[in-house]
Amino acid sequence: MNTISLSRRTLIRGSALLLVSTALPPVAFGQSGSRLIVAADSEPRNLNPAIVASNGVFFIASKVIEPLAEASFDGEGGLAPRLAIAWEGSDDGLSATFRLREGVKWHDGQPFTSADVAFSALQVWKPLQNLGRLVFANLEAVDTPDDHTAVFRFAKPTPFQLIRNALPVVSSVVAKHIFEGEADIAASEANNRLVGTGPFRFAEHRPGEYYRLERNPDYWGEGEPKLDEIIFRVLPDRAAAAGALEAGEIQLAAFSQVPLTDLDRISKVPGIEVYSKGYEALTYQLGVEINHRRAELANVKVRQAIAHAIDRDFVVRTIFLGYAETATGIVPKNAPEFYNGDVRAYPFDVDKANALLDEAGYPRKDGGTRFRLRLLPAPYFTETRQFGDYLRQALAAVGIDATVVNNDAAAHQKAVYTDHEFDLAVAPTVFRGDPAISTTILVRSGTPAGVPFSNQGGYENADIDALIDKAGETVDTTARTELYKQLQVLVAQDLPIINVADWGFITVASSQVKNVSNNPRWAVSNWADTELES
Amino acid sequence: MNAPINTLGRLLRSPAGVAGLALLALLALAALSAPFLFPGDPLAIAGAPLTPPFTDPAFPLGTDRLGRNVLAGLFHGAQASLAVGLAAAAVSIIAGALVGTIAGFAGGLVDEALMRVVDAFQTVPGFLLALAFVSVAGASLPVVILAIALGAWTGPARLARAEVLSIRERDYVAAARVIGMHPAEIALREVLPNALPPVLALAAVIVGNAVLIESALSFLGLGDPNIVTWGSMIAEGRNVLRSAPFLSIVPGIGLVVTVLGVYLLAEGLSDALASRKARP
Repeated sequence: MNTISLSRRTLIRGSALLLVSTALPPVAFGQSGSRLIVAADSEPRNLNPAIVASNGVFFIASKVIEPLAEASFDGEGGLAPRLAIAWEGSDDGLSATFRLREGVKWHDGQPFTSADVAFSALQVWKPLQNLGRLVFANLEAVDTPDDHTAVFRFAKPTPFQLIRNALPVVSSVVAKHIFEGEADIAASEANNRLVGTGPFRFAEHRPGEYYRLERNPDYWGEGEPKLDEIIFRVLPDRAAAAGALEAGEIQLAAFSQVPLTDLDRISKVPGIEVYSKGYEALTYQLGVEINHRRAELANVKVRQAIAHAIDRDFVVRTIFLGYAETATGIVPKNAPEFYNGDVRAYPFDVDKANALLDEAGYPRKDGGTRFRLRLLPAPYFTETRQFGDYLRQALAAVGIDATVVNNDAAAHQKAVYTDHEFDLAVAPTVFRGDPAISTTILVRSGTPAGVPFSNQGGYENADIDALIDKAGETVDTTARTELYKQLQVLVAQDLPIINVADWGFITVASSQVKNVSNNPRWAVSNWADTELES
Repeated sequence: MNAPINTLGRLLRSPAGVAGLALLALLALAALSAPFLFPGDPLAIAGAPLTPPFTDPAFPLGTDRLGRNVLAGLFHGAQASLAVGLAAAAVSIIAGALVGTIAGFAGGLVDEALMRVVDAFQTVPGFLLALAFVSVAGASLPVVILAIALGAWTGPARLARAEVLSIRERDYVAAARVIGMHPAEIALREVLPNALPPVLALAAVIVGNAVLIESALSFLGLGDPNIVTWGSMIAEGRNVLRSAPFLSIVPGIGLVVTVLGVYLLAEGLSDALASRKARP
């Protein structure tokens, strides 16, 4: 009897073990020493960074498809060479010459040549890419005198400063032989089966589960990549990333996937590091978009009063828990090339805000309310929503009754950027290394309805428009930079948009992961030198 | 006609009913006193953010991420929750009782048509219906109330119809017909009042459900962002669940107490009504 019950118990124990082993992810059986598991919070519909130049796409695709140059902390002009090894603009701004790296192969074995660059620039970046459309608007032709030289020819003078600053973001090179002959490149199947020159090959994507990238043994970088494999595990729930890190299920979470409120706690967990560096070239800006069609808001005194009513230090301290900087205008402080701090400032001052509103002709009525507004906080970040709640209170303190309207992402974009059904909106705009890429569009008039993160508030100022146009065709770097510094003065004076804070993201990683955050776009760079220590 | 008084008496004799009534009275008191105890907007930033409970006498239950008074939120949240619960229950009872009475009293094709509409609404889970309605119509208090009622009116409709079907065969209804009363008058003045008590017993359950659905909507960010509700407090607190769990626990207790109170009252009510029926 005894032996039977014993054997039964062993049987149960054995089968329980078997059961447990099936529950373990397959990942646990590999050589974890060279496999990096990363939390990913989205699965972009189109994964081609040459077409969709956005951080969600770059996060995964930048390991497979490389740009001509990458941002760098110590490189010349803030750049490190990738597929191009040298670049130069002509004095008249009508051409730019790139010397390309030799001996580079696509993941399918074909050689990388200047024809690929010409094809990418003319067939993809200029006509299809969200940012390339602006940067390469005047690109006419790309000459390829030999296999390793590409000469960009522009119809109108195009400042090389802009091209150079935009390179990391707009110049992801795709293979000509993959896309040539496609009727509709934007809808191509190849956009989700990436073939690139990068340190990692695209291996597979299981929707809702993970992306798997594997080592490219033929990579041009000597001794790189250091990892055998990168797994992007899809974890859409932000709160889950911290738990997964602590449990060792993932080794890295970028883009503040671990909520700011958890950082204090998790930074004390042994074996986990918190990095606030590595996002300098992709600064997010917290701004208040204004609908200038509202009579009250068309009055500059009202806009200035609102700027005075916002306690920027409180926002940085409480909403961003210190992981942000107060903003003075449309260019963030960590873009020293362009930043101009010598502009009209709006310190937190409720009395002054009240006085300005009285002067503007909107006295408090019986209930203490001057007028009512609709306030639409962008739903993309916890911080933008929380700032919406804060702004409502800040406005109440000066007698403006704001009603918060919460929408999902699609409805928010439609309401603000297409239908203009808003009075104030909270927007997370992005500064991308040069004001001409995604910043001047916020204040210049004439953008058609429907373009997200552009001036859709109906703001028109001839001086600002003229300044932007002049900077757009000024080839001389010093003169162009000076124009953008003047622009900041005008914007701070007239407040077409109110900038509150500039913030970068936070990376949290296991201390086994080495060489984290070693360039200003680290999370969206190629990770060729990223290592995993066992 | 002292039936309602008798019912109340019986309710007060059942322990569950008394406990439920007491809890709800407490909540109603909190809701009614909120504007006096905590005047002004409960969403206003009142002090240092994330003050833990029982440390600062000015904020007995602490403050949230932005420095808003949790106790003020709790009281004003009781107001919102009870208002939504009662309004949603009222709307669904009125709509349900009317539809049910018309269907039961008219019979035939009208009955068939109305009951198929009820079926159609019942096949969709109430919460999904509310979710869809709010995301289309936009989040504001009246929309949320309507959205909840949209999923809740079918229960009262069915119950009312069943009651009416039995009542319309009674002698006094036949008498009313004989003296030439208009059918609509008979339905509304003779039949409906007598069909109502069991339907009203359902009200408590609906209130409980409505409070929960409203909280779930707010939790998902689909509540009215301009008023404080327990659901939105829990959603806010969820971001700091590991470091400041009290932000979720405090409004969570509010919800538990409300729903418990409502169900106890419903229990007591149905006991009281059952014993009334049991007597000849």
